[in-house]
Amino acid sequence: MLSESTIVFIALGAIFAYSFYAVLVAGQLSLGQAGFAALAAFSAAALAPDPREVGDLPALVVAVLIGMAVGAAAAVVLGLPTMRLRGVFLAIATLAFAEAVRILIINMEWTGGAQGMSVPRVVTPAVAWVCLLVVAYWFWRQGPSRYGRALEAIREDELAARAMGIDVGRHRLAAFVTAGVLAGLYGVLWAYYIRLLAPEDFSFSVAIDGLVTAVVGGSTMFVGPVLGSVFLTLVPEVQRAVGIEAGWIRPFLSGLLLLVVILFLPGGLASLIRLRPRAPQVTGSDVGSDREGLTRRVHPEPGATVVRLQDLGKDYGGVHAVRGVDLEIHAGEVVGLIGPNGAGKTTLVNMVSGLVPPSSGTAEVLGVEPGRTPPHEVARAGVSRTFQHSKLFPRLSALQNVLVGAHLVSRPTFLRRLLWLPSARRDEQVALQHAARCLDRVGLGDKARVTASALSYGDQRRLEIARALAADPSLLILDEPAAGMNAVEAERLSELIGSLARDGLTILLIEHNVGMVMRTCSRVVVLNFGEVIATGTPEEIASNETVIEAYLGRAEEAR
Amino acid sequence: MQQLLNGLFIGSIYALFAIGFTLVFGILDRLNLAHPAVFAASAFIGIELVDAAGMSIWLALPVVFVVGGLLGLVIERVAFRPLKGRPDAHFAGLISSIALAGMFIALLQWRYGPGTRRFPADAFPDTRFQVLGAQVTLLQVAILVISVLLMVGLTLLVGRTRLGRAMRAVAENPTAARVLGVNVDRVTATTFAISSALGAVAGALFAMNVNSAQLGMGAAIELKGLAVIIVGGMGSLPGALVGGLLLGLAEVFAVQYVGSSWRDLIAFGLLFVILLLRPQGLFGARRVREV
Repeated sequence: MLSESTIVFIALGAIFAYSFYAVLVAGQLSLGQAGFAALAAFSAAALAPDPREVGDLPALVVAVLIGMAVGAAAAVVLGLPTMRLRGVFLAIATLAFAEAVRILIINMEWTGGAQGMSVPRVVTPAVAWVCLLVVAYWFWRQGPSRYGRALEAIREDELAARAMGIDVGRHRLAAFVTAGVLAGLYGVLWAYYIRLLAPEDFSFSVAIDGLVTAVVGGSTMFVGPVLGSVFLTLVPEVQRAVGIEAGWIRPFLSGLLLLVVILFLPGGLASLIRLRPRAPQVTGSDVGSDREGLTRRVHPEPGATVVRLQDLGKDYGGVHAVRGVDLEIHAGEVVGLIGPNGAGKTTLVNMVSGLVPPSSGTAEVLGVEPGRTPPHEVARAGVSRTFQHSKLFPRLSALQNVLVGAHLVSRPTFLRRLLWLPSARRDEQVALQHAARCLDRVGLGDKARVTASALSYGDQRRLEIARALAADPSLLILDEPAAGMNAVEAERLSELIGSLARDGLTILLIEHNVGMVMRTCSRVVVLNFGEVIATGTPEEIASNETVIEAYLGRAEEAR
Repeated sequence: MQQLLNGLFIGSIYALFAIGFTLVFGILDRLNLAHPAVFAASAFIGIELVDAAGMSIWLALPVVFVVGGLLGLVIERVAFRPLKGRPDAHFAGLISSIALAGMFIALLQWRYGPGTRRFPADAFPDTRFQVLGAQVTLLQVAILVISVLLMVGLTLLVGRTRLGRAMRAVAENPTAARVLGVNVDRVTATTFAISSALGAVAGALFAMNVNSAQLGMGAAIELKGLAVIIVGGMGSLPGALVGGLLLGLAEVFAVQYVGSSWRDLIAFGLLFVILLLRPQGLFGARRVREV
């Protein structure tokens, strides 16, 4: 039952599935891999030296290198214009590319048209499996590295990933090029095994097979594509072995099995393997007590200007969400931003953190200009934030969420992990310790392994703070952290913010809980209808006529 | 002129197929890849109805419509409803509908064999018209009229009726729609049924147009359908209509002036350009990013 060709096809199918896995981990659905593979296979077959002249292995190595280079180049060419597309749109654009490639190849002279090219068989089961093992090793090492976590974060919530300082465009393109390289590898191996290379080998249905293999195997764990390929290659073989005749029954059963797997095993076959997430023992006392191995940030001197907004405004159509705001925040201050619903508070902090470009005026935050600078650069400058509606990475554990938050202060570890360098392990440990301490700081130390989406609402809000804290920010923006908390939780949160402020952190706090703002803030800014109506110490604000008016209304206004 | 009309006839079938695709995507945000299997299945069923049961093709079409609707209910029930609420419902829905499509095609193979099937020779009326110097058969006119009527009917249904309002509410926000008393499950199932019924009629009409049905016919039109809904704008009904007609015309003229081997490149070239220049399609609305 396990003939040589079956063994090779399992390996090839898995390699192709890895090229889908490479982008699925980053939340991208691409179907262009068949096109990359086709380009790679035909270029390699046309350009590589003849195995009969230079020997089998050298010829194959040259062909594989050509194929990977072509695959990568094609991925860059396709990736640059399409990286801003999402979801189904990206899938269909890349699919169109693959089909266009196939039709081009059919219509070209040098590819042999629809008949294809004859290629010597050089690939043996050993070669195929060595290639597969190298690829699987790559993804095994990628998973728990800083790069791997960044990709996962992008998959879970792109905007939050951006706010954590991850350059989403570069990471997505990197994942896409990885997919191109792997598809190129697959194309060449296929060409040098199948003997007769035809454009039909890279059709739409082949791309779908690759995607199905990756998803059935599981697109969140590195062994997934291998499991998927074993499963999908063996199903017809087993059917043949138990004597089911060719015809309609085989595809029917294959479809049925696929349906069962996808409906009842949400994480694919890989989810049958349960790994316990690691939770490190916390050593050292508190956040920042042990920064060895983390990138050191230079925080502004106390009193230095952190935020300077001049005449800042934002219009949505004809609606002035924010108008003519002038505001300065100095290092070490805890500024409260209050105002009725719809006053423009969130729009204001979105502009400060660079997620929304202002329509007028200028903003300068920690030496960068949000709106002109992409959000991840603003984060790199030292701005870290939470969101009004929690934007956690729902399928990652609490600890992993915080590790992503530490993206900017931890070191890249993927390449060193590939080489198994001890320094990578040390750096990972440092990052883990740092993340665990941030969790401890907000009181979630015992929930490190819990999936973020399974946490209670209040815990999710605190996890967001821990994640923001992990970036060792110079300016921390908290957007309604106490929303939906009960009085006890809000009180504990208030204490936490107070203790962060005592550490010298500059904080911009948006909150509806006026009592909490009055207790924790050194200065309060009141926004109404997009304009600043008052600034001052909590005491001044509490007795300010305009503010009371805005909140409670005036008697004669009741018309 | 002849080419123009031929383009319109084939384009109207593309449009009818694509409109079913885009209906599910626009309202439920799911891509139903079992749609092409319904397209193929209905072609075979239509031929059998005419061939074995001796029905006239005009009577066979409503039957195919109903059968398509039933298939749509099956697809929703088996491939999509169990995934409700899963974070990966998007990917999983693609895969589960592919799996179900594979099963449908396997069943077709069991019932009808792997070969090509045709309508019996005397099934079509051979009335012909001269329109501005071009030859048109009654069948072609019927294809155009039926497609347009169905699409107009669908637009009215979505725009004017209670059910249509419920559909639009579900498209905006399923949770809010449920809170307001819309039976979301039923609206979802109905949407799938209508979508598949339209795809089924498109399949039967396609089989009439070329007088043949093959197991692979769904896969062949699937890519074109995707191209049409992107070009027209995901989820836009008028977009799918215009996109389908545009594609039909472009293909016919490409064969005329560039050569038939390049015909299929037209759809993808068009699609790619549109995606880069105007990702929301000709008629789609740009979605606002949520912060």
